[in-house]
Amino acid sequence: MMPKLVSGVLAPVMALLAAIVITSGVVVFVGASPVDFWEVMLSWPSNRNVLTVLNQASMIFLSGTAAAIGFRMNLFNIGVEGQYRVASYVAAVFAGGAFLPGALNIVASIVLAMLAGAAWAAIPAVLKVTRGVSEVISTIMLNAIAVFLTGYLLSNYGEKAADTRRTTPLEDSTMLGGFKLFEDKDGAVWTLSLLAVVVGFLFWFIINRTRFGFDLRATGMNESAAVASGVSVKRMVVTAMMLSGAVAGLIWLPNLFAETASGNYFSSSVFQSGLGFTGIAVALLGRNNPVGIALGSLLFAFLGVQSTQLEFAGVDVSNDVVLVTQGVIVLTIVIAYEVVGRWRAAADQRAVRAALDANANKQEVAA
Amino acid sequence: MATAPQGSTADGGNSVSVQGITKRFPGVVANHDVDITIRGGTVHALIGENGAGKSTLMKILYGVQKPDEGTITVAGQQVSFSSPTDAIKVGIGMVFQHFMLADNLTVLENVVLGAEKLHGIGDKARAEIVRISDAYGFDLDPDDLVERLGVGQRQRVEILKVLFRGAKIIILDEPTAVLVPQEVDALFANLRELRASGHTILFISHKLDEVLAIADDITVMRRGTTVGEADPKTATKLELAELMVGSELPSPETEESTVTDVVLLELSDVSLLDDRGRHLLRDIDLTIHKGEVLGIAGVEGNGQAELVETIMAMRKGTGTVRLAGNDIAKANTRERRELGIGFVPEDRHRHGLLLDAPLWENRVLGHQTREPNITGPLINRRDARKDTQRIIDAYDVRTPSMDTHARALSGGNQQKLIVGREMSGDPVLLIAAHPTRGVDVGAQAAIWDHIKRARREGLAVLLISADLDELIGLSDRIEVILRGRLVGEFDPRTVTPQDLGSAMTGGQDAETKDETTSTSNGEGAAS
Amino acid sequence: MRRLTKIAATSAVLALAFAGCSKQDDSSEGTDASASESTSETADSGASVCESADGDGPKVGLAYDVGGRGDQSFNDSAYAGLEKAVDEFDATCFEGEAADGEPESAREERLRGMADQGYNPIVGVGFAYSEAVNAVAPDYPDINFGVIDGFDPDDEANDNVAYLGFAENEGSYLVGAAAALKTQTDHIGFVGGVNSDLIKKFEAGYVAGAKAVNKDIKVDITYIEESDLAGFADPAGGKAAASAMYDKGADIVYHASGGSGAGVFEAATEAGDGMWAIGVDSDQYLTAPAEQQPHILTSMLKRVDVATYDMIKSIVDGKPVVSYVTYDLASDGVGYATSGGFVDDISGDLDGYADEIKGGLEVPVAP
Repeated sequence: MMPKLVSGVLAPVMALLAAIVITSGVVVFVGASPVDFWEVMLSWPSNRNVLTVLNQASMIFLSGTAAAIGFRMNLFNIGVEGQYRVASYVAAVFAGGAFLPGALNIVASIVLAMLAGAAWAAIPAVLKVTRGVSEVISTIMLNAIAVFLTGYLLSNYGEKAADTRRTTPLEDSTMLGGFKLFEDKDGAVWTLSLLAVVVGFLFWFIINRTRFGFDLRATGMNESAAVASGVSVKRMVVTAMMLSGAVAGLIWLPNLFAETASGNYFSSSVFQSGLGFTGIAVALLGRNNPVGIALGSLLFAFLGVQSTQLEFAGVDVSNDVVLVTQGVIVLTIVIAYEVVGRWRAAADQRAVRAALDANANKQEVAA
Repeated sequence: MATAPQGSTADGGNSVSVQGITKRFPGVVANHDVDITIRGGTVHALIGENGAGKSTLMKILYGVQKPDEGTITVAGQQVSFSSPTDAIKVGIGMVFQHFMLADNLTVLENVVLGAEKLHGIGDKARAEIVRISDAYGFDLDPDDLVERLGVGQRQRVEILKVLFRGAKIIILDEPTAVLVPQEVDALFANLRELRASGHTILFISHKLDEVLAIADDITVMRRGTTVGEADPKTATKLELAELMVGSELPSPETEESTVTDVVLLELSDVSLLDDRGRHLLRDIDLTIHKGEVLGIAGVEGNGQAELVETIMAMRKGTGTVRLAGNDIAKANTRERRELGIGFVPEDRHRHGLLLDAPLWENRVLGHQTREPNITGPLINRRDARKDTQRIIDAYDVRTPSMDTHARALSGGNQQKLIVGREMSGDPVLLIAAHPTRGVDVGAQAAIWDHIKRARREGLAVLLISADLDELIGLSDRIEVILRGRLVGEFDPRTVTPQDLGSAMTGGQDAETKDETTSTSNGEGAAS
Repeated sequence: MRRLTKIAATSAVLALAFAGCSKQDDSSEGTDASASESTSETADSGASVCESADGDGPKVGLAYDVGGRGDQSFNDSAYAGLEKAVDEFDATCFEGEAADGEPESAREERLRGMADQGYNPIVGVGFAYSEAVNAVAPDYPDINFGVIDGFDPDDEANDNVAYLGFAENEGSYLVGAAAALKTQTDHIGFVGGVNSDLIKKFEAGYVAGAKAVNKDIKVDITYIEESDLAGFADPAGGKAAASAMYDKGADIVYHASGGSGAGVFEAATEAGDGMWAIGVDSDQYLTAPAEQQPHILTSMLKRVDVATYDMIKSIVDGKPVVSYVTYDLASDGVGYATSGGFVDDISGDLDGYADEIKGGLEVPVAP
């Protein structure tokens, strides 16, 4: 159907344009040249940075997918941040401990990370179905608790490295080389970035092709109708939350196991925090749909990486201005989807009316 | 049409007259040829079942929606509203059923909110509030926080808000629905004060006792139009009930009975309590046989919805439920559906559809564990779509495609899709709650035909309806529900509207053990 | 309902994004304000010396941690060293600054950008650059890198990297002794930003110094955060912790809590005459508002400026600093401030303790 295609493309384009205009305004406001700014931001990145964009995008994608699983059934898992932090810590401790040889160690760590993320996500789920606690509140609190918990464990059981603590670094045999698309010095696409592709496909497949996915979407679209159709909403809440947490558990693993990434251990400085929130934004941006999330992840990763070039190009804008751009994109895209959605609904209704008229329906109520 | 605006009557200043109002929504006519004349300085009751078109009319009067045809005349002047602001300008105010008050503000603040220009927000406004409150016995302190007020007081704040804005004509939407009896008495006292001072009140309700107690005139609506007027001094509850649900009973079905001896659904001692431990359903015993349609009659809100949801296991009641001889008490909603219970819910938007999903996905809803929609754990898109096309064809669902979102369809077509869906997969029992509410006549006839055909094929049907035409036309047996109990059983071929009406309103003493003293015997007053 | 939640989610995300921004804004506002206040010694306030320097001496790259130039502490101190070097050696320079929550790859990119443009030496300010330097240094064997507070995260030594550490315990020992000598109540306090090994080093030295003067002295110890780095940017938390100590009878409180220290000074000022606070890292008497100055007894100096200057000088001299270097009392890498003259009366005693340390007294590094 034509309108579907149009609405799929139109809204993001409108949002991007608005974001460009508003960001330019901010750049002008702080006294820099928007032309220079966009020249840097939109230049083609170096080979190394192309790989960085891909690696960052894969982590953002995993985070966005984790958030989207919850969003699909109106569950606001704001706790992706805490879930992947806990899971990353657990995986790093286990992988660093080298209890298993090589590949087995990696597989076991991945499973463990998913279990840890799922377990951390199960807490708000259980609180919600048994006590009616809003998952928004409990996940935000659990994010703070996750920071505390991992920090506590690290400072009490971590390995000392100068004045900081970290988990035991991974042995060489449990690190993955990645895919070197360019010269060696440019780094590599991390092997476990492929998790994003796998998870993306599974997410699409489960949501759109399975009974479970149907139940999940139905619950998100109309909870009371889902109940009437026989869905056990409580069970769905717990399952969806744990799935979301399990995917969240994967977020940082590409980095942890990558030979070419610095920091093959968990510490307060090498662990990349904040991806959980980026994921929420990207899930909104991509309308909880894998292709949209993938595009959104690439966009956000691209903007983030490009912003590091600003200081070298002599553009006198803090690279934090990218946060403004990203925020504006999310805001405008929600508005744009809403607007386009209304156009579409109206177009749909016109189509139906046309179909009715074509049938020459004369069944108006006679007085 | 175009009746000339009625000359003003006794107190013509605040009279309202609507003539020939018609309002269409895609596929449905919500109001047609509505004529009401409200005399100034009176309490005028507008009664009718849910879905009779009262709320649409109300919205038209308050400027929320524009009528497609017809005229509104206020105090002899023809008016046309494009927003509630216009309605307020000519002195029409409305009190909604759900209060719109800010709990953490005071009475004064709530009242002046949005009307700061009238009397300011200071002493003048306070004085005005006190004046109104004293004049009509509202007993409100402008500085009380609304969160400390009871329901009755909050309602008075709402009325005060309307009066503060200068309304002379006040529309009250089911004002007593939220009140306990003493509060109802207090409200009525306030209304009489208002009437005495020349205000006109349009009182919307379906509670007949109250209407008879307060109204000067009564207008009855059914199926989108005004069907009659009554004088509360002489009318009885029975007559009103008849008017509301349709008094001209259809000739009994000539179709042969298809009722068999096989009991399909059997409820015994089924009860359901609400959070506060009150009985929503009490000791329900009923049976439905294969090939039988059991109709449940009753005034809305007497436990019909709860009965349906208990049978569907959407609520957890006590007692035994047997389906085809098997105890299904432990079965959850999905398992019960899988055993062959089809469900046409009362509110199709809330319980029956995914409005933002395509039709074929709506066909899967409720059947997502059964062929042809699935293969193993996967959704079988191809077969589900094929079967959706079958339903669209067989049930005459008018849609450009099965990929159209359900929201875009008219109510009647949505309902036909639901009925088609629930009839698929060879159900043994169909629970149909108000299956033709809010659908056009064509769709209604089609749905009736489908139910009749299924019954011939041995389907057992539990039919809940507020429409006596439908109940009598389709049912093999009618049970009347009142305050969560089944209070009488009737044969649709012999039942009179008086019998039904009096059972529904509690006028019949048979089997009703409580409150017999306060209720007058309806049969004596009838005819 | 769905619309509502969508909007709620969007605003939540935006709030997070802007919270991120405003955190940045705060610090950069702080930048300007403090820069103008603190630079009684620097020529001009806001602009960096790097913008005007055009000599033909060494090209120095300085990569700041989050907060950047103008944080009144760590980063500013490094800048002071840079400024001195520019002055003396006719150097040119380039400054980069970390964004909040940026990935390792961004830090690496910052260092690579400088290296590619021929900057040498390149100094990472803060231990968070340890990994990035370790990853980048092997690719640029001709360039010398330095990391303040840094460490080598793996076993392979880099022969072009200097890890510039400090004996904070020794400096803290002296201010601990000063506190014990000055207290009227034999009761003093310590407020740490985050309960980490690094800050515990301050605590250990402080307590040891105090006990050396009076072994029965009472020392209250509070950490604002257990592991969350927010403890370094929480003036309210610092104030609450210090106020409690003054209420309980302590009359001198030493803080090692970065930006939270502003709250500690405020608490001392509000507690009234005879109540003191001790600053950290730089001479905080100089940057404090006038009404707080009479309450700042002294500050524990951590001479990041000296380390930075030395690093640059070593390049000029052709004898680059490599491997671990500890700036201790003996090398004037730590010390105490005398601004305000409040410790003049006990300077003799303090010098005695300093001599003991220089003479080989072991100051504990952990409590």
